[in-house]
Amino acid sequence: MNTDLDCHPTTEILNDYIQGNLSTGLSVALSAHLELCKSCKQNFAKLESSIVNSWEQDSSEVSTNDFAHLVTNIVNQPQIDSDNSSVARQSPITEIHMLDHSFTLPKILAKAANDGLVWKKLGGGINQAKVDIDTQTQCEFIYMSPGSQTPAHKHQGSEITLVLDGSFSDDSGTYEAADFIVRSGKDEHQPVSEEGCLCFAVLDSPVTFTRGLPRLFNPINRYRFRKTIAQQS
Amino acid sequence: MEVADQSLCTLKDRDSDEALLIATGNSQDTEAFNRLFQRYSSRIFALGMKITRNEQLSNDLVQETMLNVWRKARLYDLDRGSAQGWIFTTARNRCFDMLRKLKRQPQCVTADDIWPQQGDVDLEPVHEEQGSLVAESAIIASYCEQLPGLQKAVIEQIYILDRTHEEAAVALDIPLGTLKSRLRLGLSKLKLLIGVDQ
Repeated sequence: MNTDLDCHPTTEILNDYIQGNLSTGLSVALSAHLELCKSCKQNFAKLESSIVNSWEQDSSEVSTNDFAHLVTNIVNQPQIDSDNSSVARQSPITEIHMLDHSFTLPKILAKAANDGLVWKKLGGGINQAKVDIDTQTQCEFIYMSPGSQTPAHKHQGSEITLVLDGSFSDDSGTYEAADFIVRSGKDEHQPVSEEGCLCFAVLDSPVTFTRGLPRLFNPINRYRFRKTIAQQS
Repeated sequence: MEVADQSLCTLKDRDSDEALLIATGNSQDTEAFNRLFQRYSSRIFALGMKITRNEQLSNDLVQETMLNVWRKARLYDLDRGSAQGWIFTTARNRCFDMLRKLKRQPQCVTADDIWPQQGDVDLEPVHEEQGSLVAESAIIASYCEQLPGLQKAVIEQIYILDRTHEEAAVALDIPLGTLKSRLRLGLSKLKLLIGVDQ
């Protein structure tokens, strides 16, 4: 794991995650990171208990509703003995295979990939499988084959990349399993992977290619993104 | 309700959120549930307002969350942390799913998948190294003898007979929550006896 502080979610984003303020796509990426990163998991537990402990003080908004009448209705409902749904929810897919590698996925990503992944070759040894998680973001698994290089690109919005296996490098450094990387609109980068790399990425707007032939795709890319969003909403 | 009383013994205050929640689950105590409802409805409403900024949705959230608390109260045990934490998790998750439904987002993942409950994670086994497993088992077995009978019975069920928590609870005829509390007490006592740090 990269020890660089940049490769973990900030306290601010963790607090938003705990309070349910993030998009589903981002929440899924954070859930997966917490399964892989012990120190963030501990940090998360601390932040969560402090949010829970200050819950009462933070509750300034008061409802005009009188809830008292609800109690009678609720206590007439049967209680349940066991949460069978958690067993049923277990995903049959926990691993994905690429070429001769197989990767074990964090639970939440296994669940998200449950319907099966359709891989598309993007050229340069890059493979992409989109996952339909929400209407605000575009979520995808990216597999970079050993020796692959993505075209130089920058982001209009933000891109969160969670490394699941292997490693990749760009101008800023090398990233390994469990690293949580945030790229904003300003950054231009050209990731390369010598040993191959599986990532989960969450984009809140399309990627813009900055060099060479792939630039031709930019208008199409943007169109596709808008179309996906339109179909989902 | 000998068993219920026992699990309450570890709770100092019978009016604490934990005691009320356990009473709600163990004996369908509507008075206890009513008290919880009074304590939490405004907190849940405020959380809803923070996330949705919509009064109607926040009112719905209070109903939805408290219905969940009632229905699932039996699944709560002290291993899942404080009652307030458990209710917060329930409220946050219900709110998240309510909004997803409203925005007609795909239902492939739910809030309960994204934020797994603490209790879903199994207790760490006593032994982690495989190497001197046999020797360690013998030592642990000898320490087991020094545990109080109830805790010893639970440890035997789980670690010697290799039963699941659910199976062991049935075998000993005690609620799952009680089993987990005894198991935890037994394990920490064992660790103390053996002299390993938590």
